[in-house]
Amino acid sequence: MPTDPCLDLASVDAPTRIALYRLVLLQRLFEERALALYRQGRIPGSFYDGRGQEAVAAAAGLALGPDDVICPLNRELAAHFARGVSVAHAFRNFLGKGDSPTRGRDGNMHFGLPACGVFPLVSMLGDLASVTVGAALAFRRRSEPRVALTFLGEGAFSVGDTHEALGLASVWQVPAVFVLQRNQFSYSTPLARQSPNPVLAERIRGGWSIPCVTVDGTDALAALDAVRRAVEHARDGAGPQAVEAVTLRIHGHAAHDDARYVPEELRAAYATRDPVARLEGRLRQDGVGDDALDDVRRDAAAAVADGLADAERSPAPDPATLEDGVWAAPPPA
Amino acid sequence: MTVPPENTGADGEITYLEAIRSALEDAMRDDERVFLLGEDIGGLGGAFGATAGLLDVFGEERVLDTPIAEEGFVGAAIGAAWMGERPVVELQFADFVTCPFDVIVTVAAKTHWRSGQPIPLVIRMPTGGGVRGGPFHAGSPEGWFVGQPGLKVVCPGTVGDAYGLLRAAIDDPDPVLVFEHKGLYRRLRGPCPAPGSRTPLCVADVARTGGDATVVTYGSGVTTALAAVERLGADVEVLDLRTVWPVDTAAVLGSVEKTSRLLVLQEAARSTGAAGHVLSLVARVGFELLDAPPVLHAPPDTPVPFAPELEDAYLPSVESTAAELERLLAY
Repeated sequence: MPTDPCLDLASVDAPTRIALYRLVLLQRLFEERALALYRQGRIPGSFYDGRGQEAVAAAAGLALGPDDVICPLNRELAAHFARGVSVAHAFRNFLGKGDSPTRGRDGNMHFGLPACGVFPLVSMLGDLASVTVGAALAFRRRSEPRVALTFLGEGAFSVGDTHEALGLASVWQVPAVFVLQRNQFSYSTPLARQSPNPVLAERIRGGWSIPCVTVDGTDALAALDAVRRAVEHARDGAGPQAVEAVTLRIHGHAAHDDARYVPEELRAAYATRDPVARLEGRLRQDGVGDDALDDVRRDAAAAVADGLADAERSPAPDPATLEDGVWAAPPPA
Repeated sequence: MTVPPENTGADGEITYLEAIRSALEDAMRDDERVFLLGEDIGGLGGAFGATAGLLDVFGEERVLDTPIAEEGFVGAAIGAAWMGERPVVELQFADFVTCPFDVIVTVAAKTHWRSGQPIPLVIRMPTGGGVRGGPFHAGSPEGWFVGQPGLKVVCPGTVGDAYGLLRAAIDDPDPVLVFEHKGLYRRLRGPCPAPGSRTPLCVADVARTGGDATVVTYGSGVTTALAAVERLGADVEVLDLRTVWPVDTAAVLGSVEKTSRLLVLQEAARSTGAAGHVLSLVARVGFELLDAPPVLHAPPDTPVPFAPELEDAYLPSVESTAAELERLLAY
C-alpha cells in the first residue's frame, strides 16, 4: 500500500519542508546507527528511540524561536538538533564520554544542553511539565516574548504532576506549550488502560481550559503548523497552549522490548504512515527531484557518520572528576 | 523539642518569625529576581504569618498564591530558577515535603551535576513539634535530605541565623532547604540582626564554649542544649551545626578533639535527622579522640504523637538532655 504524503499546507514553505526533512532524517539515521552500536555493546545501559515520532520532534523544535526553551523527553532527538545541539554531542552522551553534555554522568537521551535552551531530561514523567511552567512564569514576570515547550506522552498524562503543572499553567496564564505524543502505549500498557477518554485533547480543553488541537503526528507539516500556531498564541499572551499529536511508537519502550503486545491491526494501520516516507512523498509531489532528495539524505548520513567519528575521538570521563559539580557552590573543604 | 517559655525579651529584640519575614523583605528589596510562591502566602500572609504584608509591598507578581499542588509549584520554582530567577517557596508544613520530594531529589538536586546548570532555589518549611501538631504537622523530616548530593539543608536555631541563613540561602546558587522551627517562631526572641547580614552556609557555630563534653545539635536543639548545660553548670561546648547537610565536619571533629565526649541532640526521631551522619563521622574519623561512647539523645523511632502526655514524653526536654549529659560526663 502506498504511503500517503503529508498534506500540502501553504503555511509551511519550501525551505522549511526541506529543513523538516533533514531533521527527521537526522533523528532516523542517528537512532538506527545508535541502535546498532547498542546491540554491538558499544553503547552501555539502555537505548530508547523515537521511531515513528520523528515528525513531532522536528516540528516542535523548528516551531520555536531562538530565545525559547524546551524540555524534551526521550523520543525527541530531532528537537535537540533543531535547537542547535550537534550530532557529535548527542553521540557523546550515548557513549558516556567525558566531554558529553552530562560528562558521562548520564547516558542515552537523558541529557540537555542549557546553552541551547534545552533542559536535561529526567526519567520521572511529569516533572518537566512543571519545570516548563516555571520557565514560562519567569518569561511572564519579566515581560519577555519567550515561550517554554515540553512534551508529554499519554503515559505522562496519567501522572498527577502533569496535571498540577497544567493547572498552574492555566491559572497563571503563562506562555507554555505542551505537545502530547499520543503514541498508543506507555511501555506495554495501551491507551485504553490509561485513559477512559482516548482523546487527550478533550481532557486538556475540558479539564484545564487550555486550547488543544489534535493532529496527525506522522504528518510533519501538520504537526509544524499546529505547534507553530500554539507557540505564537502563547507568545502573544493567550496563555498556555497544547497540541495532541497522534502517532504510534514503532519500536518497543527500549531496545530490549520487542513490543509484541502491539496488535497487528494497529501496526498495519501505521505501515503506510511512516513520517519520514510521508514527508519525502510530499517533497516529491512538490517537485523536488531525486537528486535534491539524495543530497539531503547524503548530507544527513554524513552528519551522522562524522558526528559519530567525532564523538568516538572524545576522551572517556576521568574518575577523578566524579565528585566535581555536585554543588554549584561546594562547601568549604 | 519541648518549646521554651515565652520570652518577653529586651527592647529591640525580635522574634525568630520576624527575622524570617525581614529576611524575605530585605532580599526582595535587594534583588528583583527574588519572588515568593506557596499556599496562602499572599493576602493571608502565610499559615504562620512569615509573609505578612509582603503582598501589599511587592504585589502579586512577586508574592504568588498557589493551589495545593506542591509538586507542581516546586517544579515551577525549579523552572524559574533555571531561567535565572530566585524563587523562594514556602511549604505550609515541613511534613508536606513528601509531596514535592520527587522534583526536589530528581530535578533540583541532580541538575547541576548532570548538566552544569545551577538551580538557585530556596524552599522554606515550618518544621518540628511541641505545638500538638501530631503525625502530619510536627515532623522533622530534614533527615530525608541529609546525604542527598546537590542539596543544602539548613536548620536555624537562633534569631540571627533565622535571618542570616535565609539571606545566604537566597544568595546561594544551589537548592537550599530551610527548616524553620515552628515552635521557635514566636517564642524565641533575640537581638535584631543587622540588615543584610549573612550566616555562611555549611559552617557550624560554637554557641557556647566548653571543655568537658560537646553537644552537637541544630534547630530547636540549640536552646534546649544551652538551657541544659546552664542547669548543670557544666563546662560543656554546644556546637550548632546550622547547616545539617553538608555537615561542617571540621567543626565537629575539632570540638570532639577538645572535649573527648560527644552527645548528639536532635528533635528528629533517632534513626533519621543528622545524628547518624555525625556519629558515623566521629566513629570513623574521631574514634581515638573519644573517652566515652557517644550519646544520641533523640525521640524514639515513631511518628510524632499528638496527645500532650505522649508528645512531651517523645520530645527531648531540657531535663532529659541534662540527665543524658550528666551520664556522659560521669562515664
